[in-house]
Amino acid sequence: MNRLKHLPTLRITPGAARSFTYGKHTFEGLQGDTVATALFANGVRVFGRSLKYHRPRGLYSLDGECSNTLMEVDGVPNVRTETTPLTAGIRVAAQNVMGRPELDLLGVLDAFSWAMPAGFYYRMFHRPARVWPLAIQQIRKAAGLGRLSPDFRMPGRFDEIYPAADVCVLGGGPAGLSAALAAAERGLRVILLEARPWLGGAFEYRAADDGDGVALHRKARDLAAAVAARPEIRVFTQAPAIGVYSDGQVTAFQRGGPDQSFDERYIEIRAAAVVVATGCGERPLLFEHNERPGVMQPACAQRLARTWGLLAGTEAVFSVGHDLGLEAAVDLFDLGLKVAAVADIREDGQDPTLVKALAQRNIPLLKGWVARKAHGGNRVTGATLTSVNGRFHRRLTCDLLAAAAGLTPATGPLTLAQSQLAFDPHTGYFLPRTLPKGLQAAGRLLGLESWAAVTASGRRAGLQAAADAGADCQAAIRESEAALRDLPGAVRGSKFVIAPGCGRKAFICFDEDTTVKNVDQAMAMGFDVPELIKRFTSAGTGPGQGGIPGHNLPLYVAQTGLSPDAHPRPTTARPPLVPTLLATYAGAQHDMSKRTPLHDLQVACGGRMERVGVWTRARRFTDDPRCRTEILNVRTNVGLLDASTLGKFLIFGPDALKALQRVYVSDMARMTPGRAKYSAMCNDDGCITDDGVVVQTAENDYYFTTSTARAGVTVEWFRYHTRYDGWCYHLVNLTDAYGVLNLAGPKAREVLSRVTTADVSNAAFPYMGYREMAIHGVPVRALRLGFVGELSYELHVPSSYMPALWDLLMEAGRLEGIRPFGLEAQNALRMEKGHLIIGSESEQRTTLHDVGLGFLWQREKADQRLVGAAALMQTERQPGRLKLVGFKMADPSGPPPRDGSPIVDARIRGYVCTARYSFTLKEPVGLALVEDGLAQEGARLAIYEDGCQGQLTHAVVTPYPFYDPEGRRLRQ
Amino acid sequence: MLGRFKRLWDAKPMKTHYDAVIIGGGLHGLATAYFLARNHGLTDVAVIEKRYIGFGAAGRNTAIVRANQRTQENLPLYKEALDLWPVLTRELDFNLMFYNCGNLNLAHSEAALKAMRLQVASAQFQGIDSRLLDAKECRELVPALDISDRPRYPIFGGMFHPPGGIVRHDAVVWGLARGAAKRGVHIHQGTSATGIGVEGGKAAWVDTDRGRIRTPRVLNAAGAYSAGLANRFLGQRLPISVLTIQAMVTQPLKPLLHHVVSSGAYHCYANQTLKGEIATGAHMDPWPNYTTQTTAHYIKHQAEAVTEFLPCLKGLKFMRTWGGLADMTPDMAPIMDGHSPAEGYYLDCGWGYFGFKSSTVTGKYMAQYMATGECPEILKPFALKRFEEHRLMGETAALVDYTANN
Ligand SMILES: Cc1cc2nc3c(=O)[nH]c(=O)nc-3n(C[C@H](O)[C@H](O)[C@H](O)COP(=O)(O)OP(=O)(O)OC[C@H]3O[C@@H](n4cnc5c(N)ncnc54)[C@H](O)[C@@H]3O)c2cc1C
Repeated sequence: MNRLKHLPTLRITPGAARSFTYGKHTFEGLQGDTVATALFANGVRVFGRSLKYHRPRGLYSLDGECSNTLMEVDGVPNVRTETTPLTAGIRVAAQNVMGRPELDLLGVLDAFSWAMPAGFYYRMFHRPARVWPLAIQQIRKAAGLGRLSPDFRMPGRFDEIYPAADVCVLGGGPAGLSAALAAAERGLRVILLEARPWLGGAFEYRAADDGDGVALHRKARDLAAAVAARPEIRVFTQAPAIGVYSDGQVTAFQRGGPDQSFDERYIEIRAAAVVVATGCGERPLLFEHNERPGVMQPACAQRLARTWGLLAGTEAVFSVGHDLGLEAAVDLFDLGLKVAAVADIREDGQDPTLVKALAQRNIPLLKGWVARKAHGGNRVTGATLTSVNGRFHRRLTCDLLAAAAGLTPATGPLTLAQSQLAFDPHTGYFLPRTLPKGLQAAGRLLGLESWAAVTASGRRAGLQAAADAGADCQAAIRESEAALRDLPGAVRGSKFVIAPGCGRKAFICFDEDTTVKNVDQAMAMGFDVPELIKRFTSAGTGPGQGGIPGHNLPLYVAQTGLSPDAHPRPTTARPPLVPTLLATYAGAQHDMSKRTPLHDLQVACGGRMERVGVWTRARRFTDDPRCRTEILNVRTNVGLLDASTLGKFLIFGPDALKALQRVYVSDMARMTPGRAKYSAMCNDDGCITDDGVVVQTAENDYYFTTSTARAGVTVEWFRYHTRYDGWCYHLVNLTDAYGVLNLAGPKAREVLSRVTTADVSNAAFPYMGYREMAIHGVPVRALRLGFVGELSYELHVPSSYMPALWDLLMEAGRLEGIRPFGLEAQNALRMEKGHLIIGSESEQRTTLHDVGLGFLWQREKADQRLVGAAALMQTERQPGRLKLVGFKMADPSGPPPRDGSPIVDARIRGYVCTARYSFTLKEPVGLALVEDGLAQEGARLAIYEDGCQGQLTHAVVTPYPFYDPEGRRLRQ
Repeated sequence: MLGRFKRLWDAKPMKTHYDAVIIGGGLHGLATAYFLARNHGLTDVAVIEKRYIGFGAAGRNTAIVRANQRTQENLPLYKEALDLWPVLTRELDFNLMFYNCGNLNLAHSEAALKAMRLQVASAQFQGIDSRLLDAKECRELVPALDISDRPRYPIFGGMFHPPGGIVRHDAVVWGLARGAAKRGVHIHQGTSATGIGVEGGKAAWVDTDRGRIRTPRVLNAAGAYSAGLANRFLGQRLPISVLTIQAMVTQPLKPLLHHVVSSGAYHCYANQTLKGEIATGAHMDPWPNYTTQTTAHYIKHQAEAVTEFLPCLKGLKFMRTWGGLADMTPDMAPIMDGHSPAEGYYLDCGWGYFGFKSSTVTGKYMAQYMATGECPEILKPFALKRFEEHRLMGETAALVDYTANN
């Protein structure tokens, strides 16, 4: 197709050809084309088929308001080809067709649309019941547009940025540009977002002038250049805003390309003030076959010519309700399009210059007329026009029917920002009735039309936003308001929706094939407000996201007089305003896991690393999932465990002890210097939430540990439970600053004594002792504990020393056969010893008493208002609770039951928490939570494992610890 | 074949007396009204709805249904609910579009597998189909899953529950409303309850913004607003925190996912609706609040999470996101109770983000409770008293806390 040449408004580069494939064809487009304009230039008119009836669909608008031009591009489905820049070598394919878009075998469905009235799914396919499972498969196949392969992997570079600004302007038309300049002139930092690849909005392609002889596109480009020259303004083009949230948070995405460091990136902006200047689109006109290929919006036809040099047809009929529509007719005539007639819904009120311009060109203008029907199949071949009273008709031949009922403001960002919209009878728009603090609106969105008014309104909004952002500019605001008052205000807009006398196929929503008839049906069934009609008919829920029906549906519903809403009420807009790739939202997809200081050393030792909560930890160090050698080495020699994930805290200050008393169940006043105290925390239900050790390191000065899982919430927990007390204490979270090594096993002392000069003899450093010592000059907080049931030392050192300490100990323990052990070995070892892990031997509803730790609770702490004290009292002897018990198997030669297996009789009575084959005891042992009736020693437990088909295994309740019940080994 | 386009339910004038008044035209309120009329001949019933029926969580949920709960108190209720969809579809003569596709729940750690084992075995013990799968079997079910070591939390295995699936939530609301209205129930939309009157220890009336209705039976089924109403009307304090929960859908697509897929570690589920959209959501906002606003953080998080285990979804686009409210109790199980603080006052709330699947069967038993005054056995474990006694139900194993102190 020949392109128009030498227009000052063109955005294509003649001669810069870009070839691509479309189905079986290889086509050429130009640099600057979108995929859709390139296809159009190559003669493609039917872009795809509609969802339900498989009607042919073509180019209708150019901003992605409907699904008509969605295609598959390089394996990605549902690409809006009309907003996607053409790049060389892409593969494009039509969607939802059986055959070719021009000849779709499912096109016959269109003849059966009568069988698919509003909500027909709800009323069909369920009788008889056996039909439904078959129908589902057909419905699923018919639904959806594009196709995605399960093996698809999104290519490209995705990124995310989080810029901040004083003012964020949405929309790069003259209003937005003026707003940005006004704020920048006050010295503020501005971010401007524009969806199209260039600035200038709806003025950027217009050849008309405002009577001063300077073409509007010239003015728009000059203004854009002024903005580009300001260092305070950061302009993002090809960057549609997708979300507006409270407190000036705006999200957007931006398309990049080979010249940028990204193909697409997510942008999240924080601004003190936001200006919405998103302008208007054209409001669709409803008539019979109002979506045939060849029916398009006047601005679409005009932009095709002005921006891409493409004439949308040879002979056109226009049906409009707005001056911009008349201007498009004049402009396109001047560019070579024949115009058979222009129908204008308005009886009067047209811009006289435009009326004169039409007359000068001998274009008949039919005032008070409108298109009633488009003729033709895959292409429009003619149009029937009618007078708006429906009495007179006229049929004309054309291959382009440029139709719109008027304009529709892009209010999405306002709605998202919680602005209340109300119907305005003068413009026919939903206009902001209230604007939340920090939000401004400007430009054509408010109904303004002329260059002067639009820019003045932008300037006013920009200054107001500057004031919202803290600039002192009240005088300038007053001036700008006065200037605006002297200019023409909002123009009267049409509220016309549907041509008289049109039949069944007037589409209010293209994406979902919803006709006006469907809306009538829904209303007859009692769905009488737009929000419910939307749900019942699906109108506006498709990929165009309400772009086509958004404004018409409430207007139409109000006009029926059958809705309880006397005034049109807008339907809800929801983010994202523009469909956004999950790849883009996911952005760089940073992995935020934490590694301990020993990560690499453990990997080097063969550690199998796993994600455990926020951490990556070593599960084991051999191929053996049961970790036999790791376990036995701890029992007979010595092992080394990285326990750095433990929560580690300092608490100090005059009220530190009170705070400890509040959250720990024991009497924390009874602490001996140099000795660690084991205790637990409960919540208000008396349920155990944490356990750990506390040591007093000086007066009013304590060091304590929490379980890994609770480390993150501990500070908050203390603060929350002391929030009314006004106590003076400080908490420091050392979890990441310190690492922990657990040196455990009968030979641990030998190893430790080799690296320190401190006296680590049993007398000098007994069980439960706490010592501060130096190991080769490294300051160490050493605790003698016994989680795994052996003589063991927990060595707490600053994280940066951890690798050095690891190396020292591994070296020092070589003779003793030291080797690292992981989480699985630890789990088995501590279980043999009957030590519990919260979350493993307890759950949300498990109290301190239930796990047998009631002895830790000091009930005489009444004045301390211990968290959970009342519940601990009430639940102490409560019957019917799940209690922690130990068990051995009735048949010790069998395998241990799998963790999590229920314990049953006629009903479920409990479950296995942890069970392992004990290499030390040479038989399986385990811990279980069971109802108190089953908790006595000797009780028989029947275990129901998944997949057992009713074959129960049996166990017997046995006292625990199973291993070293007297605790001699800890104290050796 | 299609019948005429008659109103699904009529707008009737409001009377000054009903045998029962139900506050809340959500799933639970409508289901109770339907069963009062159907099973107990109590047709003089009014449903009072502040906005329009289905305005609350009923119209915002993602309609996943399953019966593989954790505790034996919950299992039978959900099992019966699951069996009810085809029955109700026939009975209401309204296609509820139960899509029995089965649910696959992924495990990303040993601990998750252990938790699943309890759920799977408990379900099996009660005769409910539920199975543990290894990672390869998961991928055979859902070819789009990435079972390699690449994801942040690799897939260890999963729990497959064939009887579950999805239902069309709007259809349930409209079908129940139509069924109830047909039997004489009055549905008053645009009517707010503003108070409950008590005389001699018995519920006596409900005040609304359109006048007083005398009645001996009142059900508080106002969803997320229940706790507020109970406190305002009767001074009853419920251990409920209300949190926003968001969900979203992608553009529609030809069939890609044939099961509901969910992952606890990623706080995320995804399923393909009959319209072809991938619906996804799961996580609640971290703080109690009553707004249904969405957040920038959440949709981004969701994209990151779901594409970790279903990487092909990166090529899809999100089309819209929305928020609803979840009324959370401390143990993730609902409160169903009656006669306290006034005789004839009933309570059905605390359904959080899981009260769609059970709504019909709950309605059945709440109707029985209200008609007879006697609490059915199956509802007894859900009494409010359990919180006073610190006996949480165990529906969740993890330490969770939805109050402001979390
Ligand atoms: C995003 C999201 C996803 C979910 N996904 C699932 C899922 O997949 N599966 C599942 O099982 N559950 C899911 N749920 C939960 C489920 O939707 C709810 O538990 C269920 O809808 C609760 O039903 P309800 O009838 O109690 O409350 P609602 O449906 O909220 O109804 C309560 C009604 O009471 C009305 N009301 C309030 N105050 C008054 C008053 N003063 N007077 C009159 N009327 C009043 C409200 O307008 C509302 O219509 C989800 C919820 C959300 C928000």
